[in-house]
Amino acid sequence: MNPTLKRVLAGAAAVSLAGVLSSCVESGRESTTAADSDCPFEPDESIETTARIAWQPIPNGDLVVKDLGLLEACMPNAKIEWVQAASGGDVVEYYGGGDVDLGLMGSSPATIASSEPKVRDVDLAVVWIHDVIGDAESLVVKDENVTEISQLKGGKIAVPFSSTAHYSLLQALIEEGIDPNKDVKIINLAPEKMPGAWQGDQIDAAWVWDPTQSQLLDDGGTRILSSEDTAEAGRPTFDLGTVDRTFAAENEEFMTMWAKLQDHAVKMIADDPDAAAESVAVVLGIEPDAARAQFEGLTYLTAEEQAGQDYLGGKLAEDMLTTAKFLLDQGGITKVGTPEEYAEHVDAGPARRASE
Amino acid sequence: MTDTSVDTGAGTTAGGRAPQPTGGNGAAALERRAKRAQRLRRLGLHTASLVGLILVWWLVTRLELVRPLYLPSPGAVWDAFVTANTDHPVSEGSDRIVRGEQNYYLWEHLVASLQRIAIGVAAGVVVGVPLGLLMGTTWLGVLLEPYLNFVRSLPPLAYVGLLIAWFGIGDTSKIWLLFLAAFPPIAVATISGVKGVREDQVNAVLTLGASRRQTLTTVVLPSTLPEVLTGLRVGVGFAWTTVVAAEIDNGIPGIGGLAYLAGGQLRTDLVIACIIVIGFAAIALDLGLKYLERALVPWRGKA
Repeated sequence: MNPTLKRVLAGAAAVSLAGVLSSCVESGRESTTAADSDCPFEPDESIETTARIAWQPIPNGDLVVKDLGLLEACMPNAKIEWVQAASGGDVVEYYGGGDVDLGLMGSSPATIASSEPKVRDVDLAVVWIHDVIGDAESLVVKDENVTEISQLKGGKIAVPFSSTAHYSLLQALIEEGIDPNKDVKIINLAPEKMPGAWQGDQIDAAWVWDPTQSQLLDDGGTRILSSEDTAEAGRPTFDLGTVDRTFAAENEEFMTMWAKLQDHAVKMIADDPDAAAESVAVVLGIEPDAARAQFEGLTYLTAEEQAGQDYLGGKLAEDMLTTAKFLLDQGGITKVGTPEEYAEHVDAGPARRASE
Repeated sequence: MTDTSVDTGAGTTAGGRAPQPTGGNGAAALERRAKRAQRLRRLGLHTASLVGLILVWWLVTRLELVRPLYLPSPGAVWDAFVTANTDHPVSEGSDRIVRGEQNYYLWEHLVASLQRIAIGVAAGVVVGVPLGLLMGTTWLGVLLEPYLNFVRSLPPLAYVGLLIAWFGIGDTSKIWLLFLAAFPPIAVATISGVKGVREDQVNAVLTLGASRRQTLTTVVLPSTLPEVLTGLRVGVGFAWTTVVAAEIDNGIPGIGGLAYLAGGQLRTDLVIACIIVIGFAAIALDLGLKYLERALVPWRGKA
């Protein structure tokens, strides 16, 4: 081939490639194929907030709100951006970078973010309990002869570090007088990597959530403890809805509507679990049946229940303090705040207003 | 000095090859036919090995030597691939139709990642080539080389969090990461290209009265180009290997982000579909670059 022609062809190829690439795929596309849902309440057109919300793939009302586009439907003039996060620690990072206004995280990251050292001026308040973790996170052991956690001495336990599961595991070990640093070997492993390690006999047990939890149970694992048990022992874990405190103060109406819709989703999980499961399944990319099964391991609270003394109205701040004391021992934080300080990081306002 | 003689080796060498004595016409045809046969043979070899590989894969899953969770069958992967590229009901019998995966078709995820890679690599060329030229020809090389080696050896997963803190969770931090992956090999290749320029060639044009600028454009750049293109190919490769790390956080749409999310849900079939798509896209891109190489520096290996 003639070299000039060759060069022209190469140029044309490059240009056409650039053309393909510049036909941009934009992120944050609306869920166009979702059944256009209506706002369950009177839409409020006066709210014109821009809210950036960090979400995580956890089966709770937040995903229902996201999938059905409830925030968008009820606040047609507000601008809602959903940002996916891989963990609670990431959500705290996002807050630190000023990238999000609201976000879902477990109670451990939320406590860390509310304690010293402060992560780059992150100042957030817990305004919602998306779920109380029960059997959704549990300790699954491989050897069927092991029925007590104390029998795991000398064994290897996998858990995703800095998660609520990590907290529950350490808690359960210490409760039994087992030193997590000496008597057992705890390794940091992402849930999706556990089945492989399990199959290869590289771990003896794992404290983990779904779908990995179900997978390990199917693989002959036995559940000997769950976060339900640690909760009963006075160490509950939660998935929490948090908000930047300045944002919450400036956007009270938005927060009320947000809480109302979260409340609506919680009621939907109770009253119409199939529809809720379908929404969760769409976001997670799994079968609705599997999503529905995952509801069982979590407890969902209505706005009214949350606002009460047992949760946002009082006890949650104490739970955070307990968590903080524990994290201090484990080296997660450098200083435990005062009870008043943790109370400051819990705001029952939106839940209370939503329940009225 | 006439224009043609100053023209890069491209014109002269390739041009010198084209007007071969006409007496060798039959020989040229023969040579062409031999080349075509060789290409066909190579294609046949590739096809056979691919078919063989899939057959082994199918057999392993068929005999249930490995559980589907660890290795789904080719059929399951194909189904995942098709589902990810179509509008489909969320489950059988459901009237809720969803688009592809995570609201984007698989090809859209791929295009989104390609966009990021293109921008990251383009920035890598824009920064890497001039920097490499400077470092290869001036004292800057001594000064900056340790830094370049430092950046080059960093594992992306270790500093992706920092990039997010500095540049936010949007595409900027992802493009930065891809840039940081792609630019060092391009710079390093440029440096080695510049250093490999034959001194007598430079002296030759200087003797003929070429200015510094002319030396650069007529000798140094053309002789560096082959190495730069190799660096570009290596850089693109590094960008591909970094794409999942770049898209772990808020990476939808993006094929790396999709692979990560699917992994979290233990959907191995979709993960493998993503991996295969990434692999094929990378091969296609590399073939394109190879072609570009042949078109731009046909004298390579012949001078």
